[in-house]
Amino acid sequence: MAKSQKHAGRTPGQSAAIVGALIALLVVVVTGGCLCWALLRGITGAAGVLEDAGLKDSEFEGIVLRVAYSPEKEILFTHLVDGFNQMGRESADGRSMRVQSVRMDPDEMLRAASTGEFQAISPDSSVWLHQLDQQYAEEVADPAAFLVGQTRHYAISPVVIAMWEDAALELGWPETAIGWNSLVNHAIADPDFRWSHPSTASASGLLATLAEFYAAAGVTRGLTPEDLQQPETIARLQEMEATVSYYGEGEWAIAQQVNERGRDYVDAFVAQEQLVVWLNEQGHDLVAIYPVEGSLWEDHPLALLELPSLTSEQRLAFEEFAAFLESPEAQRQVMSHGYRPVDLSLDLAMENSPLTAENGVDPDQPRTTLQLPGAQVIDQVRNVWWVIKRKTNVYLVVDTSGSMDGEKLRNVKEALQVFVNQIEGAEERVGLIEFWGDVEILVPLDRLGDNRPELQAAIGGLEAGGDTALLDGVTVAYKQLRRLNDPDRINAIVVMTDGQENASHISITDLTSKLRRENQSGARVVIFAIAYGEDADYDMLQQLADSTGGQARAGTVETIRGLYKILSTYF
Amino acid sequence: MNRTRWVFFAIVGLALALVVAAVVVFDLLPFGKQDTTIAGEVIDTSQPVRVTVVAAQSVEPWVREAADQFNGEEHILEDTGQTIQVTIIPMDGLAAKSRFEREEMDPVPTAWIPDSRYLTELVNATFKERLGRDVFLTDGEYRGRPIAITLLAWGIYESRAQALEQAGAINWQLIHDAAMNADGWDALGGSEEWGFFKLAISSPRKNASGLGAMVAMAGEYYDKTSVSVDDVDSNDFQDWMADIMSSMSDLSGGAYTVQDLALFGYTTGDAGQLLESDLLVNMEGIQTRWADPLRIVYPQYVTWFDFPFTVWIGPETSADQKNSALVFEEFLLSEPIQQRALAYGLRPVSPTVPVEGPDSLFTRWQSQGAQAVIPRTTAMRPPDRQVLQDLLRFFDLRVAGR
Repeated sequence: MAKSQKHAGRTPGQSAAIVGALIALLVVVVTGGCLCWALLRGITGAAGVLEDAGLKDSEFEGIVLRVAYSPEKEILFTHLVDGFNQMGRESADGRSMRVQSVRMDPDEMLRAASTGEFQAISPDSSVWLHQLDQQYAEEVADPAAFLVGQTRHYAISPVVIAMWEDAALELGWPETAIGWNSLVNHAIADPDFRWSHPSTASASGLLATLAEFYAAAGVTRGLTPEDLQQPETIARLQEMEATVSYYGEGEWAIAQQVNERGRDYVDAFVAQEQLVVWLNEQGHDLVAIYPVEGSLWEDHPLALLELPSLTSEQRLAFEEFAAFLESPEAQRQVMSHGYRPVDLSLDLAMENSPLTAENGVDPDQPRTTLQLPGAQVIDQVRNVWWVIKRKTNVYLVVDTSGSMDGEKLRNVKEALQVFVNQIEGAEERVGLIEFWGDVEILVPLDRLGDNRPELQAAIGGLEAGGDTALLDGVTVAYKQLRRLNDPDRINAIVVMTDGQENASHISITDLTSKLRRENQSGARVVIFAIAYGEDADYDMLQQLADSTGGQARAGTVETIRGLYKILSTYF
Repeated sequence: MNRTRWVFFAIVGLALALVVAAVVVFDLLPFGKQDTTIAGEVIDTSQPVRVTVVAAQSVEPWVREAADQFNGEEHILEDTGQTIQVTIIPMDGLAAKSRFEREEMDPVPTAWIPDSRYLTELVNATFKERLGRDVFLTDGEYRGRPIAITLLAWGIYESRAQALEQAGAINWQLIHDAAMNADGWDALGGSEEWGFFKLAISSPRKNASGLGAMVAMAGEYYDKTSVSVDDVDSNDFQDWMADIMSSMSDLSGGAYTVQDLALFGYTTGDAGQLLESDLLVNMEGIQTRWADPLRIVYPQYVTWFDFPFTVWIGPETSADQKNSALVFEEFLLSEPIQQRALAYGLRPVSPTVPVEGPDSLFTRWQSQGAQAVIPRTTAMRPPDRQVLQDLLRFFDLRVAGR
């Protein structure tokens, strides 16, 4: 009723006012609408920018180049990558570039290269690049296809025989030129001479093996698949490899052991020249022997992988990174780490150069190199090496005391399976012993070709409980190996414990004395000891390892698998 | 509904209609934009035309320097008035060939500067089978045109040259005999500690100069400039070539370039046929690092590398991009840029630019055998595709063992 009363009472002047107000409203709506639209458009535009900015934030790395590198140059490479990233390089459109480095064994690089996990690799030697191309050509069934694209260098170092100076003098160095043949002949004549080269999974190991193959075949070039099958060549190779004390995960690990253990660890080992410089800078007294038959180079290539997923921005980042590595500043760093720089204007004999006779190296060497055969021959060298390499008798001695219950034992079981699976040859002998308050030989030492399934089953059935008779466990394994008295093979015990010795019948003093004494003759037994977790008695394990020239390593639930895998490379 | 309400809704509706109309008009008319319309297409002339050029390693530093200058000078594509921005992507010629053939060029470049027309021939051969046509033209405005040239020359360490020359002039037959000598340098007039003779040439699967060296071997073996499929497939020739290549220090498939010869010195290579431009660029470094200097010797049969600037004619790039690439090509052929090629050891293709001059590496390294005018040589004619493919197959089977 009130509403109708109001309408009924509207005058013409009031109506005009209302129409005026509505027109004003129209203006406001139109203006407001336009403003809102303009604002919305502006916001949308701004949102586009924000979105872009958001993309940059979410991808913050902008352009990321992932580079896998081999472990022996970890110190140098990570240093260089940090230097590059700190420079904050940007592409032309303002996107920042970053290099992410991934430490990886060359073997593993070959397996992962075609997955796109990384866009570039820097293994220890170009020899892996050729293997990779061959592998890729087979994968895509196109003999002309290759994965390795632009390749640059930033540091090189020749492969040498790193030898303690007194040992070198004994061989007649420097008056007498030493080569692969003379090294092996010396090792055959003197069983106390201990030398080592890594497995063929690293360049120095592969190149040392290749050098042995040349020496055994009596040639320095033109190595053929047929040469590798000659019975006399195989016999000579076996004789040579029988002198190797043990293998290992790589030259860097050997150098670290030499650094820690000093003169007692080994008389000579194969490594890049840079590690001789590094060790001498740590206060040791080694010399680099450049084999007279010829050496080979670790050329540390930086290679772009021509994957279909490679973007032009990643290619640009590669260019920038490679240019940085070749820059004068980076090249001086390369040289200060004991490598030979690729910047040829840097004189190797310049002031402050570490490449000096005092550091055991000669920048004028090597004089010549061995021929690097085709990928097929190299592949065959690696395969034949597995057959002729010095074989192993290894006892896995495992703590199954009560403290191992749960996740610890589960992870150890996995790690042991990795170890057993990692050792490729059927002729390697492996046994399994467990200890708790007592000791039991679960699987006697036998050829892996015969007992691999039995080992796998026994590992799967391990259960935890009881005390820790660590030393008794080691003693049982040691006696088994001594009884076998097989000096042609590497005789080793890989023992793991997570706790304190509390149940053995022998003391650590008596056991280490016995090991030292008895290892002077007959088949020498080496102990690799793993301290598993924080409660393990690392000192006792170190004493055990030291008494045999072995190694003690610390492992955790997270790392135990990798540690067993690494140790498998020693056999 | 009373009249006032009708008026109210009418005004609101009108207001909304005006807003919509304003949006439509604003979006359609080029207020504040610098667009032009050509043949019905609206082109945003404020944006540059982006040209991507994949360049072979040997010319890349020179081409990159030129591109930086070109971009700085803001050259214009006359048809549209847009500026041209050139991006150089360095890529080994054979890697680029492989990516073209596997259709993995992303983005597809506007132009390609391979080491040699050999490579465009090989890519064309692949696409001819696939598409029934060439993708790099040999005539017309987009044809490949050389922007600089270089040639394969002997690079040989002085001490080794002196030893070898006791037996005669440096040529492939002399190298063959050195490679086949079972007693190595001791029997070749050199030092025992030099080991065996080591040939320094690139893998033909990795670098076009390696393929060029094989063509040069064939030319010298048959004493003619044009080699046929029958020539390179001959057993006698292949045995002879296999003898030579058995002395390569790296049979594993490495590219092996002059940079390697400089870096690893005579430990990995005593002598080999390599690009003259690379030899000149690395000459100083070799003298710093290695006690023995390098000498350049010109072979009787010369294989030229012409670095053709070749426009990709596929639909992935626009006509504007293709035409802009031609503007850059003209820039590369201009006299000042051709002059700069000398500093990179390259021979200008412009007849008005002399090879000798103050910036010329040819002048600087005359003492090491560099010559502005090549004496008494014969140029090998570019072989046809099948010859190249047969040489590569020979290398795979007889040398690399792939």
